[in-house]
Amino acid sequence: MKTGKFFRVAAVALGLALATTMASAQALNSGAQAITLNATLAESLTLSLSANAVNFTLAAGSAANAGSTNITATTTWVLKPGRTAVGVYAYFASAAAALTDGGGNNIPSSAFFIADNAGPSTALVNTVPFGGALAGLQLANVAITGANKNSNRTDLMAFNINLTGGTLPQLPANTYTGTLNIQAQATP
Amino acid sequence: MTLQAKLGRIAAGLVLAVTALAAHSQAQVLNSGARAITLKAVLTDSVTVSLSGNAVNFVLTPGSASNPGSVGVRATTTWLLKPGVHNLNLYAYFSSSTSALSDGAGDNIPSADFQISDNAGPFNALTHTVPFGGANAGLRVSTVRIIGNNKSGSRTDTMNFNINLSTLPSLPSGTFTGTLTIQAQAL
Repeated sequence: MKTGKFFRVAAVALGLALATTMASAQALNSGAQAITLNATLAESLTLSLSANAVNFTLAAGSAANAGSTNITATTTWVLKPGRTAVGVYAYFASAAAALTDGGGNNIPSSAFFIADNAGPSTALVNTVPFGGALAGLQLANVAITGANKNSNRTDLMAFNINLTGGTLPQLPANTYTGTLNIQAQATP
Repeated sequence: MTLQAKLGRIAAGLVLAVTALAAHSQAQVLNSGARAITLKAVLTDSVTVSLSGNAVNFVLTPGSASNPGSVGVRATTTWLLKPGVHNLNLYAYFSSSTSALSDGAGDNIPSADFQISDNAGPFNALTHTVPFGGANAGLRVSTVRIIGNNKSGSRTDTMNFNINLSTLPSLPSGTFTGTLTIQAQAL
C-alpha cells in the first residue's frame, strides 16, 4: 500500500514537472515581416566580330577571289520567354552596288559570297530584315527553347568575290570598297 | 495637619488614580480582522520585428555570382520574455526553396541562390529548414542567448542581399519577383 502511494505521488510529480517543461518550451513567435524582392534580368542580344576589315586581290573574270582573312561573329543573347529564334544576317545596303569604285563601276551583292562555318559559299541575294532588297543572306538560325534562352553561338565567315557573272568579267581595274554588315535578330 | 486633612488628601489621590486608570482603559485600540486583497500584475511576453524597408531591387547580370540588392534592410527585434526562454532566433525564409523568385512563366531563382549577409558578415544562402517557410528555404540570421539580464532587450540585424547566378547560366531575361519573410522566435 505504501509503495503504491509512493508511486502515485511520484507520477503526479512527474506530470507536473513535464507540464512545467512543456509550458516553458512553448515558442513565442513575432509577426512575419515581408520584404518584396524584384530582380530584373534585362533582355540583350549582342554581336561581336573578330575583325572588321577584309581585303581581296581580284583576278579579272575569276570565280575565286578569296578574302584575306576569315571573320568570326560571336552572337550572345539573354532572351525573354516567348522568343522562338535568333537569326544572324549579313547584308549590304544595296544589291546593285555592294562594292563600288565610286565611278559607276560596281560589284553587286550577288557576286559576293560567304561560307559560314565551312559550309557552302552562298551569295547575298536574299531580302533579309536589314539592308537593301535582295542584298542579304541569313547566316544562321537558332531555334530558342527552354534550354538556350541565355546562350551564344559563333559563325566563322569566309568570303569570296565571283567575277564571272554578267558584265563582271569586264570590270575595270580599280579599287572597289564597300561595307558588309553583320547583325542578329531575335523573334518574335 | 490634622488627621482629618490627611485622610482627605489620601482620598483625593485615590480618586485621581482610579480616574486615570479608567481613562487609560477606554483608549485601547480595537482591530478588525485582516482582509486580504490578491494582487495580480501581468507583464505579457512579446517578440516583435520591424524592418527599415520592405522592398529590394536587383539588376541582374547573366551568369554573375554578384548581383547585390539595391539596399540593405535593418531588422530590429524587440523582446520581453518569460523566465525559461533560452534563445531568441531571427529567421529569413521563403515559402518555397525551388522558386524564391519567379518570372511567373516557369523560370525560377531558387533560395539556394539567394544570399544574406548579416551585419557585414559572410553571405549565406537560404538552404536550411527553419521553423517557418518551406523546407530548405530558410536561414537563421542571428541568435541571442537569453540570460538573466536580457529577458527584455532588442537587437538590430542589418541584412545585405545578393543573388548568385553562377549556377543559373541559362536563366532567361525577365523580371523575377518574390517575397522574403523575416520572423523571430523565442524558445
